[in-house]
Amino acid sequence: MCLGSESAGLLTGQFRDRLLKSIEYLKFKARNHNAVAAHDYVSSVISEQEKYGVYRDLFPQEWATSQASFYQKGYYIKYSERTNELFHLINNKCFPLLDYLADDRENEFENFYIPPLNMDLCCEDIYFENLNTSYAAGLIFYFPDDAWEYLNERFRLSKRHFPKINPDPHPGVWKEKGCIFGDLLRFIDHSTDNPWLDSIYCQMSDWYGFNLETIQELSREYGAACKLLEGLKPLDALIEAHPKKMLSALIDFWNNGNLPDETTLSPTRTGRVS
Amino acid sequence: MIRESPLEILVKEKEQVNPAILLAEEFLRRDAGDLLSAEDISRAEDILQSSSLEIKILEGQLENFAGLPATPSLIIPVGF
Repeated sequence: MCLGSESAGLLTGQFRDRLLKSIEYLKFKARNHNAVAAHDYVSSVISEQEKYGVYRDLFPQEWATSQASFYQKGYYIKYSERTNELFHLINNKCFPLLDYLADDRENEFENFYIPPLNMDLCCEDIYFENLNTSYAAGLIFYFPDDAWEYLNERFRLSKRHFPKINPDPHPGVWKEKGCIFGDLLRFIDHSTDNPWLDSIYCQMSDWYGFNLETIQELSREYGAACKLLEGLKPLDALIEAHPKKMLSALIDFWNNGNLPDETTLSPTRTGRVS
Repeated sequence: MIRESPLEILVKEKEQVNPAILLAEEFLRRDAGDLLSAEDISRAEDILQSSSLEIKILEGQLENFAGLPATPSLIIPVGF
């Protein structure tokens, strides 16, 4: 007897789950107590049970009202519909768990990697016109020729308008927390200590175990990464409005560790200055 | 000391059902919606380990047994 997903779809609720459970039991008995099959089955039960625990603890309301089956396999066929529902909840409410996965229904989630939110400066082609203005400006310290060419095209600015850039940044650059220039440079330098911003595609990815602590930690880190990216938007606007003044301040920060003063970073005051 | 034959060694081996089979049977009878406790999971992980070990040992024994040279039987089966 085979209860395919189409037939199973016609049945609902507890009856369907009882039927699927019975079929699973009969299939197991029919395998004539194969030890390897039993071992694999127990492993899969533990794996699913651990995920149900994550689901219940992370999304108690959704868990209480969910109708997704514990027995019918979901889109990712190694997991039940209920576990598949958890994957989608994490993807929608915590961080992009599924967005960058190859569309492989056989995928396993015991360990997973996260997609970088930053540019891969060592291998990726850099298309300046697609970058945020602040990111493109910050690249004068890493890819000066390309970056100045872009800034010249966009703002009619060239490096001869500015002080010479030191090959290495002032040590204070990395110490300043909460300064928007520091945030920008740490972001470009992949030294934010945030895995979403520091990882790159061409390095071996870190693999994360699927458990409650890791999911919660990655969610927090993802929120922090998005906040940092959002926080750089005002800098884009400032550079677009006053490119020469902002680039001078950025170079001064890189060379001497001097923090930009309030006037520089205030949109209204900056407006009057220029 | 008389050396035991591979068959005698096998016959003397402790006979038991692989513990994963018993646990699978137990899991199959319970409701997946009743989540396992941490103790249950820990017990299951221990059983998986011993089950896996037993499978490996048995596979090794089978391989060794199959690799033994043929020896003539003392009894000629009927029909030969």
